[in-house]
Amino acid sequence: MQEGSPKPSADNPIGRILIAAMVTGFIALIMAAIAAGYAIRQTNRHGDWVVHTYQVESVLTEVRRLAEQKETARRGYMLAGTPAFLASFDQAHDQLIPRLADLKRLTADNPAQAIPMRAVERRLAELDAAQRATNTLVQDGLGAEALRHFRADSGLQRMQKLRVMFNRMGHEERRLLRLRDGEQTASRRLFSAVVGVAGLLLVLVAVVSFLTVRRYTRDLTRSRAELADLNATLEEQVKERTSDLALANEEIQRFAYIVSHDLRSPLVNVMGFTAELSAATQPLAALIDRAEAEAPQIVTEEARLAAREDLPEAIGFIRTSTAKMDRLINAILKLSREGRRVLAPEMIALDQLAEQITDSIRHVIDDRGVTVTIARPMPVVVSDRIALEQILSNLIENATKYRHPTRPAEVHVSAEETRGRVIVAVRDNGRGIDPRDHQRIFDLFRRSGQQDQPGEGIGLAHVRALAYRLGGTISVESQLGEGATFFLSLPATLSIESA
Amino acid sequence: MNDHRSVGIVMIEDDEGHARLIEKNIRRAGILNDIRHYTDGTSALDYLFNAPDGPAKNGPALVLLDLNLPDMSGTDILAKIKAEASPLKRTPVVVLTTTDDKVEIQRCYDLGCNVYITKPVNYENFAQAIRQLGLFLSVIQVPEVEG
Repeated sequence: MQEGSPKPSADNPIGRILIAAMVTGFIALIMAAIAAGYAIRQTNRHGDWVVHTYQVESVLTEVRRLAEQKETARRGYMLAGTPAFLASFDQAHDQLIPRLADLKRLTADNPAQAIPMRAVERRLAELDAAQRATNTLVQDGLGAEALRHFRADSGLQRMQKLRVMFNRMGHEERRLLRLRDGEQTASRRLFSAVVGVAGLLLVLVAVVSFLTVRRYTRDLTRSRAELADLNATLEEQVKERTSDLALANEEIQRFAYIVSHDLRSPLVNVMGFTAELSAATQPLAALIDRAEAEAPQIVTEEARLAAREDLPEAIGFIRTSTAKMDRLINAILKLSREGRRVLAPEMIALDQLAEQITDSIRHVIDDRGVTVTIARPMPVVVSDRIALEQILSNLIENATKYRHPTRPAEVHVSAEETRGRVIVAVRDNGRGIDPRDHQRIFDLFRRSGQQDQPGEGIGLAHVRALAYRLGGTISVESQLGEGATFFLSLPATLSIESA
Repeated sequence: MNDHRSVGIVMIEDDEGHARLIEKNIRRAGILNDIRHYTDGTSALDYLFNAPDGPAKNGPALVLLDLNLPDMSGTDILAKIKAEASPLKRTPVVVLTTTDDKVEIQRCYDLGCNVYITKPVNYENFAQAIRQLGLFLSVIQVPEVEG
């Protein structure tokens, strides 16, 4: 595919966008949750404070009422002297004491209330003392004396001051409530803002995710369509290219055939006229011989050299060169013919084939004094018999050819099957091949080591060409002086399409 | 041959050197018949069918034919000579060429060639083959041309 297919992973922009969107969404949700929790706690606390303020106010009112009741009862007792007023006084006092304690406890949270509170307590205590003094006088029947006391110190001022204190305390609580109201409003605003921001973020995340997913889906659909297209045309493309290759291959084969073929024609002339030349030198040499015998003075040194040495030498070189060229051309021709031959795969037992090959070159093997061993059993392959025979016979023949000067020559042929391929190994203990030449020896007309054996450097080139045709490969492992092992790797079953 | 003077040899061979070597070796075999040499198919066909002194109009002949010619394939000439309506259909044709391709050899015999010889690349063999061909030519009977 020309462009990378989009995948929802962290490796590409779309995956990253989706992950970022998800993270942002979660953060927004967590923010909203925290804000909501905070707001609820604030509201609860505020509710508590409102209740507290009303409690303070109610206790304050109660204290005030009881203080007023006490004063009213004292005055009534002074006027009428009936004990009912005295009872009312005592009752108000008994109720006032716990209320005052309540008030003190409730306002303890606010240091600003502590001063008026202390003042209230002091005033109430003073008032109580004055009231109890007049009450005792009235009880003892000294009503006039009590009235005189009352006139001197009516407690009116104290009462008024007490009222001012109570009002101040009430105002203070109101002020606190207003303050807390403000706090509550602020926190509610904050909550609204946070929830609003979170909501916006969520909307944004939703939009981004939706767009990304839509783009991703669109990309996916498009690449799926492309893939389907490719799949549909793949087979066609493969066929097209295979036929192109086959054409190119055919072209090369034809080229090799034509070249080698057309090179033969002029070679016939060169060889033919060289032979004519050679034949023509004989009467010339004879003439020189006769002239030398009959009239030595007409034979120059130059003429004698030309007829007896230069011409035969030149002709000799031309002949060996043309003979060599002829062999080379024949080699190319043979290779090109091999390439054109149609392969016919069949079941071949490798051990039988190896046996058959060693038998067919038995005379060579015996002449060279080589021991050839064949490992058994060997796998069975499905391949072209003629090609395989040529490969193995070349390899075995080579193995017997390049012996080590001091060791008795041994050649071992073995084969094994691994994962659908058969590897045939031809091992010798001969003179070995320099690792620098391991590639070269498979090239046409290239040889390695001392050139003391006949050959044109064709065999291994032929072997490689054949191995390739059979879908195989050929390689060598060797060190100089330590023998060589050639490995032929073949598909266990040759499929004719690959040939 | 029945009459050394009357049976002409027509050699169609684009390589001058080959032609010369063939002629020399035929002569060495003792064949003295007239040898006419053509280096291309067109003029050879013209001589074979149209020339007043050519085989079609005037007497028997034997054709030595090379398959690789500059202007046409030797097999085309062979097909024309051996065609059903050809006056030369019984004229012996010896294909003498470098090609030793099996398919090509089969094709030539299918078209009616009488002898197919591959030019040996080794000159000694070549010379010997041509001399043997000469000996063969000296005993071969060539039919009269009809019409």
